[in-house]
Amino acid sequence: MKLNGVSVEATGSLLDTVLAAGIALPHLCKDDNLPVIGACRTCLVEADGRIVAACSTPAAGVQECATDSERAVRIRRGVLELTAAMQSGPAGAAGGPRSAESLEAYASHAPRPGQYGLRSGTHADLSNPFFSFHEDACILCARCVTACQELQHIGAIGIAGRGHTARVTPGAGVSFRESICTSCGSCVAACPTSALRPKG
Amino acid sequence: MTRAVSSTCPYCGVGCGIVLNVDENDRIRWVDDDPVNLSSTGMLCVKGRFGTTFVNHPDRIQTPLIKRNGRFEEATWDEALDVVANRLLEHRGHFGSFASAKATNEDAFVQQKFVRLVMGTNNIDHCTRLCHSPSVEAMLQQLGSGATSNSYIDYEEASCIVLVGCDPGSNHPVIASRMRRAIDTLGTKLVVVNPRRIEMCDRADLFLQPKAGTDVALFNGIARAVLDDGLADVSFIEGRTEGFDAFVSAVREATVEECADLCGVAAEEIRAAARFFARPPARRGQPPELRPGSCLVWGMGITQHTQGTDNAHSLLNLALLAGQLGRPGCGVSPLRGQNNVQGCGDAGCIPDSLPGYQPYGDAAIAPFEQLWGAGLPRSPGLKATDMVEQIASGTIRAMYIVGENPLLSEPNLHHATDLIRALDFLVVQDLFLHETAELADVVLPACSFAEKDGTFTNSERRIQRVRRAIAPVGLARPDWEILCDVARRMAPGAGVDPAQFAYGSASEVFDEFARLMPQIRGINYERLEGEGGIQWPCPSPDHPGTRYLYADSFPRGLARFVPVRQRAVAEETPDDEYPLVLNTGRVLYHWHGGTITRRVAGLMEQVDTVPVAVHPADAAVAGIQEGDPVLVFSRRGRMGGKAVVTDAVQPGNLFVPFVKLQDSAANFLTNNVYDEVSRIPEYKVCAAKIEKKRERKGAFAR
Ligand code: SF4
Ligand code: SF4
Ligand code: FES
Repeated sequence: MKLNGVSVEATGSLLDTVLAAGIALPHLCKDDNLPVIGACRTCLVEADGRIVAACSTPAAGVQECATDSERAVRIRRGVLELTAAMQSGPAGAAGGPRSAESLEAYASHAPRPGQYGLRSGTHADLSNPFFSFHEDACILCARCVTACQELQHIGAIGIAGRGHTARVTPGAGVSFRESICTSCGSCVAACPTSALRPKG
Repeated sequence: MTRAVSSTCPYCGVGCGIVLNVDENDRIRWVDDDPVNLSSTGMLCVKGRFGTTFVNHPDRIQTPLIKRNGRFEEATWDEALDVVANRLLEHRGHFGSFASAKATNEDAFVQQKFVRLVMGTNNIDHCTRLCHSPSVEAMLQQLGSGATSNSYIDYEEASCIVLVGCDPGSNHPVIASRMRRAIDTLGTKLVVVNPRRIEMCDRADLFLQPKAGTDVALFNGIARAVLDDGLADVSFIEGRTEGFDAFVSAVREATVEECADLCGVAAEEIRAAARFFARPPARRGQPPELRPGSCLVWGMGITQHTQGTDNAHSLLNLALLAGQLGRPGCGVSPLRGQNNVQGCGDAGCIPDSLPGYQPYGDAAIAPFEQLWGAGLPRSPGLKATDMVEQIASGTIRAMYIVGENPLLSEPNLHHATDLIRALDFLVVQDLFLHETAELADVVLPACSFAEKDGTFTNSERRIQRVRRAIAPVGLARPDWEILCDVARRMAPGAGVDPAQFAYGSASEVFDEFARLMPQIRGINYERLEGEGGIQWPCPSPDHPGTRYLYADSFPRGLARFVPVRQRAVAEETPDDEYPLVLNTGRVLYHWHGGTITRRVAGLMEQVDTVPVAVHPADAAVAGIQEGDPVLVFSRRGRMGGKAVVTDAVQPGNLFVPFVKLQDSAANFLTNNVYDEVSRIPEYKVCAAKIEKKRERKGAFAR
């Protein structure tokens, strides 16, 4: 397969192949530790002329893939601008171990500020002794939900509502403390922003 | 800048891989999961993730302490070690030692070497006595090895999992997650046997709730149903076992219905359990050439009874009868409690055998005597519970206790405290000045898992590295180094070459351990570095390690059926004065007695008083409502807690975790009576009563 014009060996998904070749590509909803989610669209690339999500496209069968085509970069920048706008809270809040991933992704694509309106949700849940949740930094990538459901098989949290009202929640009117959450922290470990952040 | 150090969780026997992220001030800032670790596959529970801040707790003992005139005074290492060495030399002959299942294999190995070689006794034991000694006894007798036969991956490849007397959701959370994965995605059947409704019951296909102390009746009943319905694995029984006929006649003494009456489980459910276990329907993805397997998993609900060993026999009999051993997706697993309880036993911190479970026969002892250059004691030592009881007779007058707090973990704590007080000389080596340490003559500060190198061996026999991530707190030192210093001081007086205790590193200690324990001979630090954890048996450097045991044979040749019969359900049963049965166990947010987890603020925030689970009917009789402060009494003591009114417990039963919070602990109430064979105390059953705590109003009320 040709990747950005260079022959490489196809392994796993397009994202796997890209990362194995040492090429940087945002992938905000793909965690090494988790199955493919395919929700964030920050990993879009051009494959044989089509724009596809690298994380959920098998590399086998693709002849030519470009991460750096003008079209792919432009569309990704748009997605990242929209994503960055969802992170409306104060910049620089300390997050968990993967929280820098989002900031690095934005920085790599020189997003133009002010393209999209900021997210309005400001719900915060401070009830768990070990971590807190801040909607104003959540990009709805669903990594936390996937970690809870498909790694730990607990299913304490989900995404409720659609569009502007969509929110990660342990249930309507229920706080983390009151939910079936076991405080295992897998969601905090997975979060690519500071939306789920360890306390202290 | 933070640095990341891979290590192994210091809490439970699951042995999850952890990555400690440490800042420039040597503080652990974040604990990450380790996706490449084959035991935990990227998961952790709350204790592993958020529970390691105890390492930097201000209560850590900073210097050696010597008690003078009833008060501890700070001392230098030389002063303290001199006192210990001199006093212990006087006490050879009536000495006993507790090792720590929280410490490393290297710590454990050096400790038993010190006790055997320098103190000249086999009086060494650890907390396995209080948790799985009946399982180990029964497995040694019937199979020839006391270890879990399978691996966590087998839970994911099983077609049926039977959980008996355990609550993995609270005590082995990551194993629970792996089981949930199998149940949710592969349709694996789940059978739960527990007097109390546990969280995993939500996913159970069958939930059996036997009366306390009737496990033998229940499992003999299931065996009877297997026989009656023609579900036995005849070729396995014929080819791989002995003693079948005697077992069958014992089982045929009672019908399924009679067993049902005894244990309070419906006969139909007994038959259903027999079918699920012996012939489970294949899970999704079961390879067609393999017979669908069942895993039998148990905990302290089986063992902590006066008939604990019988209970374990009844389980193993069932596994043999159904031929659920020696293939992928089946096997027997006593869920080990402490992070290194497997390794502590492997390393020889048990009174009845040398490292590697080798008996004191001439052939086994020879390599030890040769390598160590002196004779070793050949008669079995005292078991932990007996060591404490034998203080009364003067048989034990001095003790060296490493990383254990018997004055929270022994039954009937008032009685145990009186005994420990009566010792002539007590050394405690630990992180915190806990209840037992308070009574010591000398206290030696030990390093936590984060401050030293070593290995832990988890419940699936996987030996994994523990790596030094931060500098020792205060003057703390690794347990094995301290023990070496004591041993070298005493060596001349004991006729031992001090060079026997001159290791340069944990890795050197491990090499000697591996040389003497054939099951791990192929393992060293270099391999662990390159390959990650390795599961024993691993007899040679090119051996990949062993996922499940007994594929072709048992260490004792043929496995043996051991017929057992239901005896009295417990030593103490309810009466008019104490009408309820008190059952003990654990909660997710605390670790055992709580010496460690009481020092993690977030865990205390979750659970800060002892929850006392009581059935609504019993609560109504006593006028108790959810959240009320309550007092629980037994003939031996009392404790306070907070009522949790729930039908998860059966009428007539109370459930209390044995963590000590607000000075209240269930072990003030439990009964110091023991299983004859294994000497485990009967923590799971005693007679008790409950009362609502009266409000006290007055000048001193808070
Ligand atoms: S901490 Fe709670 S919400 Fe997060 S993954 Fe664990 S159980 Fe789910
Ligand atoms: S499951 Fe056990 S080993 Fe794993 S993180 Fe929790 S306490 Fe530690
Ligand atoms: S990483 Fe591919 S869609 Fe999120």
